[in-house]
Amino acid sequence: MALDFTFTEEQEFFRQTIRDTVNRMIMPRVKELDEKEEFPWDLWREFAALGYLGLRHEEKYGGMGTDTITQMIFYEELARGSCGFFMSVTMQILMGTYFIGRFGNEEIKQRILVPAIKGEKIGTICFTEDQSGSDLAGTRTLATKVDGGWRINGRKQWITNGPIADFATVMATIDPKLGLKGLNFFLVERKTKDRDGFVPGQRLHKLGSRCSVTGELVFDNVFIPDENFLGEEIGKGVQYAGEILNEVRVMTGMSALAIAKEAMEDARQYANNRIAFGNPISKYQLIREKFAKFWAWYEAARTFLYKCAWMIQNNIPCINECMLAKYHATEMCMYAVEEAMRIYGGNAFCTEYPVQRYWRDAKFLLYGGGTHEVLCDYLGRVYCKG
Amino acid sequence: MGMEIVVLVKQVPDPEATVKIKTDTELEIENKYFTNFFDEIAIEAALRLKEKFGGKVTVLTVDPKRVDALRRGISMGADEAIQIADPALEGSDPFAIARVLAAYLKDKPFDLILAGRQAMDDDSGIVGIALAEALNLPHVHSIIGLEVDISRKEAKVIREVENGKEHLTCPLPALFTCQKGLNTPRIPLVMNVMKAMKAQIKKLDLASLGIETSKVGSPSIQAKVIRYLPPPKRPPVKMIKEEFPDNVKTLVRLLREEAKVI
Amino acid sequence: MSNEIWVLAEHQDGKVKGITFELLSGGVEFSKKTGQKVVAILLGSGLEEATKGLLPFADKIYLLEHPLLSPYTSDAYESALLPLLKEHQPSLFLGGSTSIGKDLFPRLAMRLETGYAPDCTELSVDEEGRLTVKRPLFGGKVFAEMVFSEARPQMATVRNHTFLIHENLRKSAEVLSIPIQLDPSSIKKKVIQVEKSPGERLDITEADIVVAAGRGIKGPEHFKIIEELANVLNASVGTTRAVVDEGWRDLKDQIGKSGKNISARLYMAFGISGAIHHVLGIGTCKTIVAVDTDPNALIFNYADYGIVGDLFQIVPALTEEFKKVLASEG
Repeated sequence: MALDFTFTEEQEFFRQTIRDTVNRMIMPRVKELDEKEEFPWDLWREFAALGYLGLRHEEKYGGMGTDTITQMIFYEELARGSCGFFMSVTMQILMGTYFIGRFGNEEIKQRILVPAIKGEKIGTICFTEDQSGSDLAGTRTLATKVDGGWRINGRKQWITNGPIADFATVMATIDPKLGLKGLNFFLVERKTKDRDGFVPGQRLHKLGSRCSVTGELVFDNVFIPDENFLGEEIGKGVQYAGEILNEVRVMTGMSALAIAKEAMEDARQYANNRIAFGNPISKYQLIREKFAKFWAWYEAARTFLYKCAWMIQNNIPCINECMLAKYHATEMCMYAVEEAMRIYGGNAFCTEYPVQRYWRDAKFLLYGGGTHEVLCDYLGRVYCKG
Repeated sequence: MGMEIVVLVKQVPDPEATVKIKTDTELEIENKYFTNFFDEIAIEAALRLKEKFGGKVTVLTVDPKRVDALRRGISMGADEAIQIADPALEGSDPFAIARVLAAYLKDKPFDLILAGRQAMDDDSGIVGIALAEALNLPHVHSIIGLEVDISRKEAKVIREVENGKEHLTCPLPALFTCQKGLNTPRIPLVMNVMKAMKAQIKKLDLASLGIETSKVGSPSIQAKVIRYLPPPKRPPVKMIKEEFPDNVKTLVRLLREEAKVI
Repeated sequence: MSNEIWVLAEHQDGKVKGITFELLSGGVEFSKKTGQKVVAILLGSGLEEATKGLLPFADKIYLLEHPLLSPYTSDAYESALLPLLKEHQPSLFLGGSTSIGKDLFPRLAMRLETGYAPDCTELSVDEEGRLTVKRPLFGGKVFAEMVFSEARPQMATVRNHTFLIHENLRKSAEVLSIPIQLDPSSIKKKVIQVEKSPGERLDITEADIVVAAGRGIKGPEHFKIIEELANVLNASVGTTRAVVDEGWRDLKDQIGKSGKNISARLYMAFGISGAIHHVLGIGTCKTIVAVDTDPNALIFNYADYGIVGDLFQIVPALTEEFKKVLASEG
């Protein structure tokens, strides 16, 4: 009797608690967060005080040590609120602190991980560059071995939390000619008068997730000591990246679910109340079809994503599944936010209505964790190999 | 020293949940439940007293299966959770529930019992007050202010009345039902949420309480529901389409002559 | 067992409250079917004026006077009423769904082990005096019809404006003073202060007419125009949860969900979109008027009359029009 598609009572309780927390803390401010385009420090501190930033880390550093499915429930509920806040929080919980927790020595963990879990130091991860996104081998940020450490040179783009980050996990190459095998991860902190580090560069103004501040990080011959090398061996950067990419993709899928759901619930209310030609528009077949298609697609996406979460939790290899599930959920979300805009008709164009915000926020899902074009090329190749 | 506080909690359908009339005597309620809003206020009040004076907060519910309200209490900071459940309780009304609670609490040490002013399903507001009667405790209903003088074993409460507030003193032990405005319930820390997820809930049946089954369940009730009805239907709205200021004149005329309310 | 209909009379500053006249009027309607006598139960001290006010509305008045019965506490009222109720076991005992009724009746019913239905919006009796009531559940999404066992009295608290006050009752009640022994030590609670809300308006649960504004009012200072309309109509002013959460109005004015359920004869909603929580709180109002700028506002699904318009234009004009119309009738 293996298949069981239910959540436990405890998991349902956890979900209810997060949902209630999001409803109380974040929902009332969603519009303001989007409009202001500023990092919400007060909300960040309030949220950090609840302890959620430690969701993935060991208790000895102030974390909670929860399992993957619990984490995905958290992401699914958090993403219902402000997409920007979600991005900053998940960066802190997962990508920004994973390698510190995995490879940092005790001194680094105490100095960086512990305050990060408390929300006092803000972290991020740096992959993307001007000329490379999905194509990791195109990384040109250089790490040169020197006495006692490394020198890092380059510029990273599209860095979530970049303008306010205190520390970053940076993917750099020791030699571009080595391609993927040259890639490694390094801890670089923000430059202070006592310590060399990165400097925030230009800030990006985005279409969506606007309260998450995003920008460039500049590494100008930055010296970092040996212990800042994050890894057991040189050359395993891509392999290490693969360790979290599954989670990152499923997490992205969760946010796709949440945004799609919110958009279509809004659209449902609108359709049930908007009268045209004497009837609420939800009575018309072309409108109903949109909801039906969304619903089918959404349920499938959700089941697939939780299956991937289960596979990760049970250490079952699932690289392809996670890519497929992220791709599937994101395409579903694109459909949902597009159709929600259409259901709203002309009102969709008005910023007073939230439907345009879902549409704007959702667009980024197409790129995070690899563009769909790249994913499909890879997955198609895998499939054809048999 | 400290205070022993018991908080009565209930899991009720979310106000957003749809409630449909399936048959005359059966309702179909959408499976969206949450901790009764007023009970959370009671839990918060208990926790603040514990923070001030020390002691213990116990959350207590009478429900055959739903314990999320108890977990909510633990996640906010309560120490112990108790569930009373028994098939014989089927069909109980608020008075029967009060009798069951009284059977459990009659020999327990407590300084204060807190409850919400009403449950958002039956909206009756009876259990807390009836329990106070059964335990011979003084009670104050619908409080919006609470202070305890532990040395004098007394509470000072503010109760909401029409067009005003009453300030009262009440000796402890007592029972208070809590109203919105008393406090803002805290958002649980994830650490306590984890604790609540793993919490051991003490489950009790009627046999352990020493109450006769004739005092509970359908046979014990003195006023019963024979039929569920939809809310009274209103005829569709009459939209007054004239331009301003004629629409105002028409409205006033209709209110006088048609609705006859002016 | 006395085959009587008892009504707990509520009074403030010597004046009997509207709800009491409503319940007595209702009792009189019932008595036409059942032949029962209608009795007002009056507790307190300094009750001369209140007694006078009740004379036309009841067949009997039981007067329970004692200094410890004023101000109201459930302790004192319970001590005084229980022996009386046990002795007489009237057929029916009605109270208002008020801060007193909701506070006292559950204790009495628990002790007497009789049936009690709270916050009823419809009541009827058969020739034998057996009561049937309807009351709202789930905030008003569903109503329950309830009947009672043989235990007496059958008890119910009733929402304001469920019964109409009979304008021409010309009874002359027989007044009976009931001697009561009240042991001061049995009264545990002490009222140390009564704080009245500023202004002369009735509580929104009691008022005949309630006018309310929601988010559309755009700020606390604009409530002035609503107050002016209320003045002309002798109405009370209510509001929505959104406005209370902003801190523009006090919680006591909030209609719906965790606020109050109102049952006014006329309810006027200005700039209120009509969230479900709010509309459940107004369900038992007799006539509902809605004014909002959004033609798709949900409130129009629950109103009797609607105007799509700007409240800042409509409300002052309504005030003027009402003034004119009410003045013309002298």
